[in-house]
Amino acid sequence: MGNVAFAARALCQGLEIPYVMPEKNNKGTLVTGAYYSPEEICLPFKIMMGNFLECIERGADTILFVGSCGPCRFGEYSELMMKILRKMEHDIDFIVFDMSPEIGIGEIRRRLGKVLERSPVSLARKLSAVKKAMKIQYLCDRLDRAAYLKAGYEARKGGCKRLLNEYKARLYECQSPEEALNILKLYVKKLASIEIDKSKKPIKIAIIGEIYTVIEPFSNLNIEEKLMDYGVSSERMLTPSWWVKDTALKPLKLNSLRVSRAAAKYLPYPVGGHCKECVGEAYLAGKKAMDGAIQILPMGCMPEIIAKSILPTIQKDTNLPVLTLIVDEVTGEAGFITRVEAFLDMLSSRRKKPDMAS
Amino acid sequence: MKIGIPRGLLYPKYHIFAKAFFKALGAELIISPATNKKILDEGVKLCADEACLPMKVFHGHVAWLRDRCDALFIPRFMSIEKNEHICPMFCGLIEMLKSNINGLPRVIDEPIYSFHRDKLFKWARRAAAGITSDRQRIKAAFDRAWDMQGRTSLGYRDEYDLKIALIGHAYNVFDEFVNMDIRKKLNKMGIGIVTGECVGKSDIEAQAAKLFKKPFWTFAKEYYGAALSIFKNSMADGMIYLSSFSCGIDSVVTELIKIELGDFPFMVLKLDEHTGEAGYNTRLEAFADMLKRRRAGFDNNLSQYGQCGICRTRSLPGA
Ligand code: SF4
Ligand code: SF4
Repeated sequence: MGNVAFAARALCQGLEIPYVMPEKNNKGTLVTGAYYSPEEICLPFKIMMGNFLECIERGADTILFVGSCGPCRFGEYSELMMKILRKMEHDIDFIVFDMSPEIGIGEIRRRLGKVLERSPVSLARKLSAVKKAMKIQYLCDRLDRAAYLKAGYEARKGGCKRLLNEYKARLYECQSPEEALNILKLYVKKLASIEIDKSKKPIKIAIIGEIYTVIEPFSNLNIEEKLMDYGVSSERMLTPSWWVKDTALKPLKLNSLRVSRAAAKYLPYPVGGHCKECVGEAYLAGKKAMDGAIQILPMGCMPEIIAKSILPTIQKDTNLPVLTLIVDEVTGEAGFITRVEAFLDMLSSRRKKPDMAS
Repeated sequence: MKIGIPRGLLYPKYHIFAKAFFKALGAELIISPATNKKILDEGVKLCADEACLPMKVFHGHVAWLRDRCDALFIPRFMSIEKNEHICPMFCGLIEMLKSNINGLPRVIDEPIYSFHRDKLFKWARRAAAGITSDRQRIKAAFDRAWDMQGRTSLGYRDEYDLKIALIGHAYNVFDEFVNMDIRKKLNKMGIGIVTGECVGKSDIEAQAAKLFKKPFWTFAKEYYGAALSIFKNSMADGMIYLSSFSCGIDSVVTELIKIELGDFPFMVLKLDEHTGEAGYNTRLEAFADMLKRRRAGFDNNLSQYGQCGICRTRSLPGA
């Protein structure tokens, strides 16, 4: 799932637990996943299923899985995945983490213990491994974010994109959490030194939508990288480190206050998934006078369909054009690009004629 | 005051209560007609393409009522049982309607979190706010409505020799336009229908408890629990799941049920605005024939060859 794999791997390395690194998601992953999944389930399920099967093939015997308990399918994923895998006669240990009060803290501890007991290292080292993994995650997210934003301003086109791909390739190869951290620090510096052209006024776009599909580049047909190619700056709030923070703060209701407040006008009651975030971000993007927003909607995703219905109202209120891109396993690259290009054209012509904005 | 009640979604489950309650408060009621082609077309036009059929149908009903009433009653179900959820579409329904349909009258949309009597009474007081402030009257209206709802029961339980269990959302099972009057069709073929309502609550809970993690969707729990109880107690000879195309809950539940049923005849019928009646009939007939053959014993050894071609268009390899 996006850059999470790096942090997760660093965690396993730190804990000295054997792991199998999933391959980068590719068409094959999705095809396998979709074959063994119910036809109408949403895209993230299919890709994850594909991931799991690939890992199992390569010898994994335990799957760590994060399930959240919201009124969205994510909560039901683990149940179905387990059943399908069992049906295929894979003997797999499934460790599910979720945050529901139903399960109780004792059970969460027990499950956590199940992971930790495999690790031969001392408690202090375990803690430091967790800390390092979080740090890696944080740095990855920061790097990505800075690069996507900077892409519109760079003096020589392509620098940001190159750096991004480079750091990912190097992380993929690296052998220890310490090494990963060093690489990341190096690239943070490298990125900072990319020359920018202040006179440029690139188009700015907010990427909103369902969390898994916006984070995992494969599932959104690499939208952010494509935007970089067009010299467009993009911004996205949902990242894995955001998710960790959000989940941790949720019981205190301190999570993402700004967005919640922005969304409250349009969505006074919780819906589940990340509908609220999607709506709130769109509103904020409109207020910040960004040029537009792109919503990524995995086919059949219920919370995002609601968001999609509300977005036109926001569009009216804040004058923010929104493009909704629906992704599923048959989304064709060509049609996708055409739509993005048309949207970008529209945005730039809008700039030239502000009075025609509506 | 004229209150409009759309005849869509969970209407079959609450209409007795709602009608009695608002009538006793002194409101005049107007209810949209049974779903028809016009309502459906209107709904399809107004609602987001990707939404499920029931949501579109509901949009159609609301549009029909828009200029015919002073207030609309659209309950906002947030959850029905403690620590469980309902489909996200329900929680966001009102916002979708407001965004998709212009010029809606006032909407009575107080959220409902539970069907416990005390909680629901609190809800009733809020819902009655714009109609009367007479507390006695509200109390009396509520008691009466509660009583009447309590005395009604929903569901089919046909006495036929061959029976099919019909599982799925109330708005698919009981909306005769949406399901193309499946009951009449099957009855004509000499097959009766039983619905999930025949299964007791405790049986449902017992089946659902066997799942690894308690399902947090009330719907998922109900359908899964009912389907498995019917199957285990041989209450029917086959099972049809009426699912909404692109419904997130159905996509999971049908799969969970399928895994448990073995070679018990099971068919999923997907409903959306494009479902053609001819193809639908063919599938029903084929399924009915298969049940009859099975009953006659012809099928005894056929099932050895693996999956039934009708009920499992796609089976899990290794099954
Ligand atoms: S938010 Fe959407 S894509 Fe994600 S699990 Fe839920 S339904 Fe699927
Ligand atoms: S449960 Fe399914 S059919 Fe019902 S409203 Fe939700 S998505 Fe639609």
